[in-house]
Amino acid sequence: MAEAPPATRQPLILGEKSLGQVSRDILSLVEGGATPLWWTAFLISFTVLMIGAAAITYQIATGVGTWGLNKTVGWAFDITNFVFWIGIGHAGTLISAVLYLLRQRWRTSVNRSAEAMTLFAVLCAGLFPVIHLGRPWFAYWMAPYPNTRGSLWINFRSPLVWDFFAISTYLTISFLFWYFGMIPDLATLATRAKSRLRRRLAGFLSFGWSGSTSTWLRYETVYLLLAGLATPLVVSVHTIVSWDFATALIPGWHSTIFPPYFVTGAIFSGFAMVLTLLLIARKTMGLEDYITVRHVDAMCKILIATGGIVGFSYLIEVFTALYSGDPYEQFAVVNRAFGPYAWAYWLVIACNVVAPQLLWFKKLRHNMLVVWIISIFINVGMWFERFVIIVTSLHRDFVPSSWAMYRPTIIEIATLAGTFGLFFTCFLLFARFVPVIAISEVKGVLGPGHRHEEAGS
Amino acid sequence: MTVDRRAFFKLAGLAVAAVELPVLGAARAHVDPPEEQPLKGRRWAMVVDLAACHRYPGCTRCMDACRREHNVPSIPDRKHEVKWIWEDSFGHAFPAQGSPYLDSELAGKPVLLLCNHCDNPPCVRVCPTQATWKREDGVVMMDWHRCIGCRYCIAACPYGSRSFNWVDPRPYIKTLNPDFPTRTKGVVEKCNLCEERLAEGRIPACVEACPAGALHFGDLADPESPVRQLLESRFAVRRKPGLGTQPQVYYLV
Repeated sequence: MAEAPPATRQPLILGEKSLGQVSRDILSLVEGGATPLWWTAFLISFTVLMIGAAAITYQIATGVGTWGLNKTVGWAFDITNFVFWIGIGHAGTLISAVLYLLRQRWRTSVNRSAEAMTLFAVLCAGLFPVIHLGRPWFAYWMAPYPNTRGSLWINFRSPLVWDFFAISTYLTISFLFWYFGMIPDLATLATRAKSRLRRRLAGFLSFGWSGSTSTWLRYETVYLLLAGLATPLVVSVHTIVSWDFATALIPGWHSTIFPPYFVTGAIFSGFAMVLTLLLIARKTMGLEDYITVRHVDAMCKILIATGGIVGFSYLIEVFTALYSGDPYEQFAVVNRAFGPYAWAYWLVIACNVVAPQLLWFKKLRHNMLVVWIISIFINVGMWFERFVIIVTSLHRDFVPSSWAMYRPTIIEIATLAGTFGLFFTCFLLFARFVPVIAISEVKGVLGPGHRHEEAGS
Repeated sequence: MTVDRRAFFKLAGLAVAAVELPVLGAARAHVDPPEEQPLKGRRWAMVVDLAACHRYPGCTRCMDACRREHNVPSIPDRKHEVKWIWEDSFGHAFPAQGSPYLDSELAGKPVLLLCNHCDNPPCVRVCPTQATWKREDGVVMMDWHRCIGCRYCIAACPYGSRSFNWVDPRPYIKTLNPDFPTRTKGVVEKCNLCEERLAEGRIPACVEACPAGALHFGDLADPESPVRQLLESRFAVRRKPGLGTQPQVYYLV
């Protein structure tokens, strides 16, 4: 069956690049050294990271009482940030694993940085379950290890234990995927290296990559297997995170809709963050030919789809509560929309449901500034979504006399800022020292090869 | 002044003895067997007679006794308060049992609240480290040494029976009971149904302290026990039975 001639289809990579040109373009920051812009961004991120580190140190030394929590609202900023960061990580796995298995070749330009983003976001996320503990120095008690405490063992019925396994698995697989995909590029880096140290180091990290056909064959096989392994994680991680809430009896949490609602929310927020970062990277690093309007367009469409499901979930939450006839559930919904935190609820609706509708228009999808602003809106909206789910459900629970309000302290805000500092510090180091785009994969979709595949399919 | 070897050892020996002897003495005092045998039950429960309780308006003896017994801190900042046993209005404690005509009679009256020692405790299910667990005799226990402070149990408990030590509680303990441990910052605590007293053959402190005889404690598995007789002869309610937690604190109305 003959397809439309490839020439009419917009190429994935613009500018008729030669293979050498691709390496040069992508490696410009790695090989050319840090620019003043990079240094400025790095110093700002690092300073913010240090502010966060100071806040965390103070909090651990003094107690969780330095946060705005109370007996009724025992989780707020901490768990909101945790769920937010875990969600950010989801786009990386989706792009690298699921889109790879679905043969969506446009992913090649964005998968490396999305995977790095996943890794760093999971690092930030993993911080919160640890520091939110009253006694973080005993966080390792979550791990089942042979101990001298007799019959004491972790409680496998606790969703928090499932969480521990889900996140550590996710971190491990994300790291493997990211690192493994980078091996051919590290070899490229080694061959092109001017200094001896860099050549040796990159050569070592690429496991002495030879580039022979059999090496490539094995590489492709392992990559495919890893993609298969990582795919269930896209669903499992956030499903398990949602069980933290769904298994508790609190109205507004105790709902079977949570797993799909959380998973799509995670992908939605993850893609928004990918767009936020890549649109900056593409502009500042001169990668417009690699991360093209077509890539942005595709990601915008994913935003419309996942944002639609998220909006639908908001509706279903209201419907379930009304239909259940349970006064507690109904109260929780009314309290969300019209209670003291109503401003946050409507902010969520505006950012996550209304703003993405603009992406139906092709003209707006192709306007990078508009897309960037919408992506920021979604980032903010998705953070507040978790805040609304956690705080509004807790602050007016079953016992009206213990109803309370929550307001974050400066320590909590500094901690959240600190994780952004950590995230951007890691991302900047990543952009500085390893290729942000998968060079070998981009070369694979440059021209003839790509056309050949199209004709063959 | 010169110290020869003999004098040094003499002095050192005396110093060690001075430190050790009281400790050894204390240790010996500690292992003395309790005067009475421990109370044994198959299903401990508490019955609160609201009418009897209301005959003593403003009485806080049960709460004071608990506070003294368990070194519960009195933290003035409501945000950080720690509660084992406390009171709340009937309307708040039993929102589902209310009717529009209840107000004048009962709704505003105080009800004593504490951990319900549920048969199906939602807090136990979610604790990642098994710091909280249900004993054979129904007491929902809490091991402060095993608690890492994740506060999941607080989120899971629908009765608000659990408190967290947001700050170091020790400066807020009014009178220190040396026989009961104090807690550190960062752990959860709650009513333990006086398991330490049960082990010594004594009934819970709140029950003992109640001047009205409004609090009854006993073994529900024993048909002869007073709690069982009370529940068979009078009408009792439990808090939020619809949640399936099977609370074991009963209120006679």
